[in-house]
Amino acid sequence: MIHKLIDSCAHAAQLSSRAMEQPLTPAERLRLKMHLMMCKRCSNFSRQIQFLRRASGKLPEIFEKDED
Amino acid sequence: MWENASLGIKVKMRSASPRSNFRDTDRESRVTEQDEHAQDLEAHRKYLQRYALFHLRDPSLAEDAVQDTLVAALAQRERFQGRSQLRTWLTGILKHKIIDLTRSRGRGLPADAFALGEDDESAGGAFNAKGRWVDPPADWRMPDAALESSQFWKVYQECCRHMSKRDALVFSMREVMGLSSEEICKKIEISTTNLHVILFRARLSLRTCMSKNWFGVRPD
Repeated sequence: MIHKLIDSCAHAAQLSSRAMEQPLTPAERLRLKMHLMMCKRCSNFSRQIQFLRRASGKLPEIFEKDED
Repeated sequence: MWENASLGIKVKMRSASPRSNFRDTDRESRVTEQDEHAQDLEAHRKYLQRYALFHLRDPSLAEDAVQDTLVAALAQRERFQGRSQLRTWLTGILKHKIIDLTRSRGRGLPADAFALGEDDESAGGAFNAKGRWVDPPADWRMPDAALESSQFWKVYQECCRHMSKRDALVFSMREVMGLSSEEICKKIEISTTNLHVILFRARLSLRTCMSKNWFGVRPD
């Protein structure tokens, strides 16, 4: 049964991404949290895609700047 | 009909009210006002062009979107009061034009453009058969500081261009235009599941590209 509790990185990354559109189920949230606690790579991924969301939101301001 | 030189389009003048039938100056001042409005709007063209080009990637489509936006804005200009938010308002109109252009068949993208392919099932090869990272994400130091650099933004836009047209459009609708999932799914007629797959792909692609080309990180 234990293998069901430990997600692969592929699945964890997918959950991290999906969470940016809609809330995960409580079970998914818990599994993701467990995985991220143990996996630096997926923690990096999760942080980085959230950073990229912040950056993307600022892009229109960049279009406003006069430099070409 | 009255032609506005700046926008190069014919704009229908509101018919003069009975009271001003015999006052030419009234009509003249309305023409001058329209001219001023057109010039106001022209000042935003470059910004709108950059915005449209980022999303549409095709210069002539982008030009169409911008032109349609300015024409629509000029026609409604008198209804819009708040000068300081003119750019925000114009951006709103432009967003709609961009979405329209992506939806119309035969222009921009083909009908099955948003369909998922075989490659999508495996997230474009980012993971091996056991679900492990092929290129494990390494740490980025102080990423928010990068937002101050104009070079960062050049790299960002270049990385967005590396995405497939489909992925880039969906990503930009969600992350740059800020549309909700529901809106996107409705406008381009895809399922929520498909949306998630596409966004996942786009994020993987962008993250990898930025990691290599800006944060200068070699995989773990």
